[in-house]
Amino acid sequence: MGYMVAAYLIIWFATFAFLFSIMRRQRGLEREIALLSEVAREKDSPAT
Amino acid sequence: MARNDRGLTALTAVAAAGILLAAAFALILAPRAAGLTPNETFAQRIIYFHVPSAWLSMLAFGVTMVGSIGYLASGQRRWDGLALCSAEIGIAFTLAAMASGSVWAKPAWNAWWTWDPRLTTYTVVLLLYISYFMLRDAMDDPARRARFAAVYGIFAFLSVPITFFSIRWWRTIHPVLFDAKNFGLSHGMRPVFFFSLAAFTLLYVILLLHRLRLERSKEAVEGLREQLGY
Repeated sequence: MGYMVAAYLIIWFATFAFLFSIMRRQRGLEREIALLSEVAREKDSPAT
Repeated sequence: MARNDRGLTALTAVAAAGILLAAAFALILAPRAAGLTPNETFAQRIIYFHVPSAWLSMLAFGVTMVGSIGYLASGQRRWDGLALCSAEIGIAFTLAAMASGSVWAKPAWNAWWTWDPRLTTYTVVLLLYISYFMLRDAMDDPARRARFAAVYGIFAFLSVPITFFSIRWWRTIHPVLFDAKNFGLSHGMRPVFFFSLAAFTLLYVILLLHRLRLERSKEAVEGLREQLGY
């Protein structure tokens, strides 16, 4: 039974680790897009 | 939340439910295999996740080959993105299949690992696709990187059918599940097995969609940086 549980845990871990890594990278990129968009807007708007 | 994001979240929930159901069916509903020791009987239930993981890895590398051909034929970057994203998922599931197979091998073969033709060729597949990422990392020019990776992605896929047929071509101790004459599972096991296979295939589609969204975000960041001159 221990072998079966171990195998299932390995596959679950691999799946979730991959999904969480994608989500973490996605959040980081979304923050970067927001920041860069703001910089681009400030650059484009006339100086006050 | 955008409409696409909501759709992806809903599909992710369906895939998660599918995998949970597949696990429940495999552990509760699937009948016991006959003529095995108690340890082997439990370990045998690993196939409902081990075989779909191996199938997913081969499907993912197949999609990498399709993306590579698409890039060479059209020169469009989205094909290269598809090949890259699918290869990443393929590596994750190759590792999952190898690790779960090794856990099954201990009670069945009394060894965690043996240089059986299937295990050896599958290791070659893993190393080839790790090299795919090393090749990509070695090049700075995006067009050159995509072209070289596409050619490599097509040739690397040759290792996949060799791995699939290795247990039919050479003397091996690895079980042969699919055979020209019969199918290596009893009638009671088949619905659970095919349900699991379908749930894993949906999981692959979901992971690929998430990974492609990430790739689009990366391209958006690159575009903004270029626009700002960074």
